[in-house]
Amino acid sequence: MLLRNNLKELRQKKAFTQEELGNNVGVSRQTIISIERYRYKPSLELAMKIAEKLNVKIEKIFYFN
Amino acid sequence: MTLTKKEISILIEIVFSLLFVLIFMPFFYENQENNLVLINDLIGKITEIVIFAVIYFSISYTLLKLIFKTKITVDERDDMINSKSYKLGYLLYELCLFVFIGILLSNSTLQNNGEIIFLILSLLLFVSIIKSIYQFYLYRTF
Repeated sequence: MLLRNNLKELRQKKAFTQEELGNNVGVSRQTIISIERYRYKPSLELAMKIAEKLNVKIEKIFYFN
Repeated sequence: MTLTKKEISILIEIVFSLLFVLIFMPFFYENQENNLVLINDLIGKITEIVIFAVIYFSISYTLLKLIFKTKITVDERDDMINSKSYKLGYLLYELCLFVFIGILLSNSTLQNNGEIIFLILSLLLFVSIIKSIYQFYLYRTF
């Protein structure tokens, strides 16, 4: 099972740039890019911060494929 | 290929190690046969290395700051990359230490301080370069 995410779609829906979202959750733009490309698996804390910022439940962003 | 500020700072470290090999290692290589007291101008060479390092890093990091004005955010991805690369560096360092002790014990001709210093510097540079290259690779692929 691979951990996948809808981060890119949800971020664009909320009109956040990668830089803005990164600044809001305290990470760099490169980290957001890595998550969107499934290269980096964020910690639970970061995943929850992202979910909170995008105002969606964490399972709407991250899922197993 | 666009490089980030962090990636460029790793490249600065790699270039420094390579410059050290090219500029200063020949001196230690040539003095392998000598004991420390017999090495001509060792203090002068060490002073030269320190001055070179200070000037090199001051210029490089000042230029880096001027080119990239945004502040670096250190986050969990950086911690993960650093822990992986430093772990590799530590393992290599341990391995090199065993090899070094092995050489010392098995080689009765290795009695000159100059030879030991050359060997230690070579091992440290080798570990440092491999660690930085791996760190750079992780930044590009993660």
